[in-house]
Amino acid sequence: MTGNYRRALRQAMTVARRDFIATVFTPTFLLFLLSPMFTILFGAAGGLGASTVTQGAAGRARIVVVAAPDQAAAIVATDRQLRKVFGSADIPPPLDIATPSGDPAAQARAAVMERSGDVDAAIYGPLEKPTILYGGNGQNEADYLAGLAEQTLRAQKLGSTATLSAPIKTRLTRTAVTASGHNAAALFAVMAIFLLTLFLAGLTMGTMAEERSNKVIEVLAAAVPLESVFFGKLIGMFGVALLFVGFWGAVASQITSVLPAGVATALAGVAPAVGKPVFALLFLAYFVMSYLLVGAVYLILGAQASTQRELQMMALPMTIVQMANVGMSTAAAGRPGSTIAWIAEIFPFSSPMAMAAHAANSSALWPHAVAILWQLLWVSLVISLGARWFRRGVLKSGEGPKRKRKQQQPASS
Amino acid sequence: MSQSLAVTAHGLVKNFGGRRVVDGVDLAVPTGTIYGVLGPNGAGKTTTLRMLLGIIEPDEGERTLLGRDRPREASDHVGYLPEERGLYPQMKAREAIAFMGALRGLPWKIGRKRAIEMMEQAGLGYAVDFKIRKLSKGMAQLVQLLGSVVHQPDLLVLDEPFSGLDPVNQEGLERLIRAEQARGATVLFSTHVMAHAERLCDRLAIIAGGKRRFEGTVAEARGMLPMRAHYQPERDGPEVAAILPADAQHNGRDWVFPIADNGVEALLLKLTQSGFGVAGLSIERPGLHDAFVRIVGAEALAQAEAEAL
Repeated sequence: MTGNYRRALRQAMTVARRDFIATVFTPTFLLFLLSPMFTILFGAAGGLGASTVTQGAAGRARIVVVAAPDQAAAIVATDRQLRKVFGSADIPPPLDIATPSGDPAAQARAAVMERSGDVDAAIYGPLEKPTILYGGNGQNEADYLAGLAEQTLRAQKLGSTATLSAPIKTRLTRTAVTASGHNAAALFAVMAIFLLTLFLAGLTMGTMAEERSNKVIEVLAAAVPLESVFFGKLIGMFGVALLFVGFWGAVASQITSVLPAGVATALAGVAPAVGKPVFALLFLAYFVMSYLLVGAVYLILGAQASTQRELQMMALPMTIVQMANVGMSTAAAGRPGSTIAWIAEIFPFSSPMAMAAHAANSSALWPHAVAILWQLLWVSLVISLGARWFRRGVLKSGEGPKRKRKQQQPASS
Repeated sequence: MSQSLAVTAHGLVKNFGGRRVVDGVDLAVPTGTIYGVLGPNGAGKTTTLRMLLGIIEPDEGERTLLGRDRPREASDHVGYLPEERGLYPQMKAREAIAFMGALRGLPWKIGRKRAIEMMEQAGLGYAVDFKIRKLSKGMAQLVQLLGSVVHQPDLLVLDEPFSGLDPVNQEGLERLIRAEQARGATVLFSTHVMAHAERLCDRLAIIAGGKRRFEGTVAEARGMLPMRAHYQPERDGPEVAAILPADAQHNGRDWVFPIADNGVEALLLKLTQSGFGVAGLSIERPGLHDAFVRIVGAEALAQAEAEAL
């Protein structure tokens, strides 16, 4: 019996080795390995484009105060003080002072309604009861002008616009990670497991299709029990996954040392509740569970399909289910302890993602022991059923249309 | 003295979609022999081989492979070339051979070394590092064949091994099969081309319509038909037919007819006395092809040959 197990393991490892090498030692694997970087780069490029457009528009924007020269100086001084509280992203547009003409209301309206649309908001009238006009996107600017009028009036009543308070600012570094930092880590874990699992399960399904189209499956089926082929494929792609996770894990562990201080500090705030080493172990465990569950299902589907089209059609429902799972798990990451989080943690196919999020949000370790046992139960169930369906699917399609046609021909005598 | 059997099958049955494809086939392949499974296309040869190898399970019946009831347990000692050839196109030739060996328990390192040696012996030494997709169909087929023997199996099962090969490669394959037998292996192969079976097989089984119709040696198969005479008269004419047996056929200047149990001497005497004389006479034993036609049926054979083209 031991000999049989040893042989089955050796055969599975031979299949795994072939799949691993066939996947990793190809130029396309480099694309796969670097795909997260492409995502980041495309995201950054898109963000840069959007930011450039926004900044272009913001660079031309103005707010206008229609005020007599005696009031204008106080308004400008107050504006200068108020602007200090804004960050560069939120700072209001530059302030233009317009000397009132015969009809200040018409003057302000004309400014806002100007064809170029550069004036977001304009204010006129006495500071005690000013009128503010604003365009479609000028709500915040209008609020600012209201605040500016209020502060200017207060300064006038005090008789000075000079600052009265001289604060001392001291920067402190938080030792404890905030709840939002935990949430961010949870979301990261959910998305990482989801994307990795989906990519790798798709690859596994692809190798099955490859064997079909190359007719290698008959060679494998003759030499190796199909259960070993099934496990070999799972193990081979798992090796690919480990390589992928190892590469990006190494990058992630060093990334803070090369990032700007501000970004590095912000990233340092993204941390799991169970601590990074334990989280890394749990992440790996949940990734393995998720991969085995989803990979087995995709492999079964791959074994049933005879053509690429059938393969895509069969993969679609599972992909949709996975999208629902990631939706539930994301909700669980944002709302730990909620009903949706419970459901996501119990449902076998979302459980690994949701429990990884749980590890980021809560420091308790015992739920993970329960969850891993629960998931192991499902993994063994899916794999044992999967290996049987895989065998049935492969052999059923092995008959093939050509052979079926041949079998229908009569043989006389 | 009973000879040990490398493969046995008793009453193998397989149904596909309610249709009986293999119907109670019995086989007994003596160890160390070259054994042919003959039959027209669709006879059930491939399904029988697949059941023997454990690729599919029979619906009924039993089989043993190298003395084991479970064929899988013998898989490391078996080589198999399926009818539908299949290799990974991106693999190098020597890796493909080593991979097939590794599936059967041969260490990769030895597999690679043997692959190079075998390819060199086969005249393909220059192509050891060629990717499979770069090889011609015949070369790829040869690579797969080498892959099926790289681990030096005790039993080599070849499903229609000659199909798709040119005459030179067919001859090479016959040599390889004999070499495998000389090494001590049992070779079991299926074919519907009689010439190869006639030259190679120590024993054979003929399957048609899912049933085994014959089992024995080539000589026994040929012995199922009477000897045949090719007679050429000195003076031909329609009257000759009246003297010759009723089933005599006129073929050019020759008359071909089966020789009855009492021989041909009396008939020749009668022909000579009737003035037709004997310009030529040859007596031949019918070939396996004729025996096959007789066993399987001419119609099924014609269909099989048409499909083989």
